[in-house]
Amino acid sequence: MLFVLSEEHKHLGFLSEVDPAVVGESGRIAVEFLKKGSNPKIYEGALNVWSGSVQHGLEGLMYLLTESCKLTISEEDFQDSVLVLGFSEELTELLLQLYLENRKEIRQILSKPAPSLPHYHSLEWRLDVQLSSRPLRHQLKPTVTLKLHLEDGARRSAHVLQTDPATLQHLIDELERALAELKSSHCRRILHNIQ
Amino acid sequence: MDRFRFCGDLDCPDWVLAEMSTLARMSSVKMKLLCVQVIKDLLDEGIDYDKVSKLTSDAKFESGDIKASIAVLSFILSSAAKHDVDSDSLSSELQQLGLPKEHTTGLCKSYEDKHSALQEKLREISLRLGRLEAVNWRVDYTLSSSELKQVNEPTVQLKLQAQDPETDSTQTTVVSITADKFRVLLTELKQAQTMMNALQ
Repeated sequence: MLFVLSEEHKHLGFLSEVDPAVVGESGRIAVEFLKKGSNPKIYEGALNVWSGSVQHGLEGLMYLLTESCKLTISEEDFQDSVLVLGFSEELTELLLQLYLENRKEIRQILSKPAPSLPHYHSLEWRLDVQLSSRPLRHQLKPTVTLKLHLEDGARRSAHVLQTDPATLQHLIDELERALAELKSSHCRRILHNIQ
Repeated sequence: MDRFRFCGDLDCPDWVLAEMSTLARMSSVKMKLLCVQVIKDLLDEGIDYDKVSKLTSDAKFESGDIKASIAVLSFILSSAAKHDVDSDSLSSELQQLGLPKEHTTGLCKSYEDKHSALQEKLREISLRLGRLEAVNWRVDYTLSSSELKQVNEPTVQLKLQAQDPETDSTQTTVVSITADKFRVLLTELKQAQTMMNALQ
């Protein structure tokens, strides 16, 4: 599958005007930006090229990498797609290497959906028995205290919950029922069709 | 698969079984020294990564192997302490999993030496909500106020510093208590204390 390069890609033109070393450096910076977000200060320092075209160039490079990774295009298709830009063979080879080396990692970054619900991080628990309280002595009341740690991107939150053993058992039964749904023929049919 | 006591009477996780061969690649002496480092890490005494790489260099461990061996030793030692497994049972279970005898002996010796310290540490990190960190008090005597010319009353000011249960940050609460209320508080707390002493 080829992907069609459009208007945006003329920004990559700056790559054919500079050293291969600079191309390598730009590639490395583009991958860093994809991993951690872009940092304009790097434009000035690392590449001795005028800021405006560098920013567009880097963004062009990032777009090239993300589109290639999105479609997981093969080597030949990548080379054919880039051919349109009229780069030298050496440059095309460099870009291809950049794509192949970072493909897996970039796909992993792309696989994380944007806004999502907080998800499970860990669970701490404690089993206590209440023996006495100010109004009433000689009790035997078991309680389970849970601290549920959730993660939402960078944010961590903790929720403290308390329950008695009967409710906990009910909770466990409901969750097991939910897990068992995965094994039902209806679910299995759908999962089979997706995979 | 057999049930293992050190896994809490459950099956041994597959990854633990898989890493037995990684551990066997080290000499038993080096593995025991690695156990010492792992135990230091579990007790929050700090792990010396330089020592760890020296210990694993003979066996030509890559970084993945080093991480795996630390992970599996951490699991075995903390899980055995968690379920209060004695050294002999641990030894026989590890050998069942394929860990060579000399390695098992070294590991179990380290375990036995630090068994109480490990359990103490696990007890310390068990879930507790709103830990009380500090108590400060002051007794004041109010002479006069805008409402009443002669007040002449003692009060106690208590400053309690406790951990917030959900954020784990320290929260400070200051309360002022009159003599009567304070007497009630003290009596109730002493009753709770008597009950706690009876349980220890």
